Amino acid sequence: MNRLKLMEKLRVPMMLFPAIAIIVVLFGGGMISGVGQSVGYFPVIGLNNFTLDYYRDVLTDDGFITSLWLTFRLAFLSTLFSSVLAVAFALVLRHTFRGSRLLTLIYQVPIPIPHLVVATGIVLLVSQSGLLSRSSVALGLTQTPRDFPVMVFDTAGVAIQLTFLWKEVPFIGVVVLAVLKSVGPQYEEIARTLGANSWQRFRYVLFPLMLPGILSTSIIVFAFVFANYEIPLLLGVRHPTTLPVMAFRNYQDPDLALRPQAMAISMILAVVAIFLLVAYKRLAKYAVES
Amino acid sequence: MTHVMLKGLTRRFDDVIAVNNLNLEVESGELIAFLGPSGCGKTTTLRMITGLLLPSEGDVQFDGKSMVAVPTEKRGAVMVFQKHLLFPTMDVARNVGFGLKMAGISKKEIDRRVSEMLELVHLPGFETRRPHELSGGQQQRIALARALIVRPNVLLLDEPLANLDANLRLEMRELIRTIQREMNITSIFVTHDQEEAVMLADRIALMFDGVLQQFDVPKAFYERPNSAEVAHFFRNDNFLAGTRRGDCVETGLGSLAILPDHVTQPDGKVVVTVRPEDIYLAPTSDENLIHVKVLAQVYMGTYKQVQLDVDGNKWLAHGPADLDIREGDTIPIQLPKTHIWLLPPANGK
Repeated sequence: MNRLKLMEKLRVPMMLFPAIAIIVVLFGGGMISGVGQSVGYFPVIGLNNFTLDYYRDVLTDDGFITSLWLTFRLAFLSTLFSSVLAVAFALVLRHTFRGSRLLTLIYQVPIPIPHLVVATGIVLLVSQSGLLSRSSVALGLTQTPRDFPVMVFDTAGVAIQLTFLWKEVPFIGVVVLAVLKSVGPQYEEIARTLGANSWQRFRYVLFPLMLPGILSTSIIVFAFVFANYEIPLLLGVRHPTTLPVMAFRNYQDPDLALRPQAMAISMILAVVAIFLLVAYKRLAKYAVES
Repeated sequence: MTHVMLKGLTRRFDDVIAVNNLNLEVESGELIAFLGPSGCGKTTTLRMITGLLLPSEGDVQFDGKSMVAVPTEKRGAVMVFQKHLLFPTMDVARNVGFGLKMAGISKKEIDRRVSEMLELVHLPGFETRRPHELSGGQQQRIALARALIVRPNVLLLDEPLANLDANLRLEMRELIRTIQREMNITSIFVTHDQEEAVMLADRIALMFDGVLQQFDVPKAFYERPNSAEVAHFFRNDNFLAGTRRGDCVETGLGSLAILPDHVTQPDGKVVVTVRPEDIYLAPTSDENLIHVKVLAQVYMGTYKQVQLDVDGNKWLAHGPADLDIREGDTIPIQLPKTHIWLLPPANGK
């Protein structure tokens, strides 16, 4: 009897064990090793003494705050624009019209395509030697490809933003669209008969219904963009660059002495990301409840 | 108080005609039922009145003014649906006050009128409840309050009682009737339940396949149906073919006396009908006496339902619960001339 009870109690933890083990070993192991290196424990290169020097070095570096701000701005703007566009698309695609199924399918195409492939496509499209630039010359809008605005390897990060938008709009949109389709048109119709105009129907009826979907997906987008290194590495300028790129460069450097700094950046990045996500979640909870 | 007129209202969906040339007038403050089986076009008509659906042809008029070009939100025709009643993201107070908020009414005034409305639907103090905390009946009442608070020109109810159990249905029916009378709002509700229509409505518009069959007071559907189909919908399948000649009808069972002023069918081929409850199974005189065979009988508690063979047609008749007859007997029954109604000779019945 007791054994049965014990088995019953252990059932859920046992079922979760494989997943938890992977997370603990791979993620936890990496974290511990990373934290160790960032505070001066890196026996491979003879570092054995605990120190916060690497954190001090990173935090006092002028480029750090610039990079942090750039990273935050990139993540914030990508999330904001993706969410707004996703909502706009979902509002259109929830209706059934001629070709709406095909359009919905096309809209979802970016989801399985890797970010790197998208980045390459964006370069081919918007760089000064890209398709748009050449078309612009062909149409006589610009004299030479050089007259086309710089969108790749630029400080504003236009190509980076475009890459994230292309990938994340459908990601948020699919969830929001599913919410809208499952809700159906009736709430909106009730609101209409009660005198709500189209803006009021969106603001007071549809938006609150979509909000939990928008928040739960946008938080993923924010976390993803905040920690993403390959797109800013491929499409961004060398200075200033985002924190993940900075950490990656230090990590990749043949000089192993830079590794503790890379880890310090990564840890700060993780802490800031966790802080922002908690704040975002709180804000989201407040928004949904009120 | 709004007078509603539907003029030649037609709605087509591709090749299907959902509503066909509907002409109907609803007086101010009247409560009308659109009655008919599923898919007969009643909800489509309701949606055209609200403006959620545009008519293919015809006109919807409120107080003589055409509404076809007026958007739904400006018509003041508020609809209460059978499902998806309350906005799930809002509490009861916000749900009820929704229409007023949209109209830009002050928060103080909204709060006052919301609590007034909640009193009216017998749910005072429910302001902070969330929709999921309410029972089906309570949700329905809140939905009604939300519609009434804007003092609509026309109140439209789409099967408002369909999702409620029998007791709640009765309660809600009375509530709708009381409030509708009190506020004197022109109201139209859709139902497929003829009992509900009879109990609630001042007049009933019966529709089949998008066509208005009869628009009249409830009593008329029992006593003066337009056709065998209408009679059938009101549970009368007693039909006997005959030929009217003045004040009598010749049938296979002999001549039946009628009241010429009571019937409307002219001389010629007709269908005789008498409602089951109007047939005398214990005749009181020789007039209109016919002999028929008893096919079956069912004890119904307060009365006995008897199935009869009337010249090859199956008729039903209601008799006293203690009626002593046997299946297979041939018995005399009387068709009182005051209750004989003549139908046009449609569908060979």
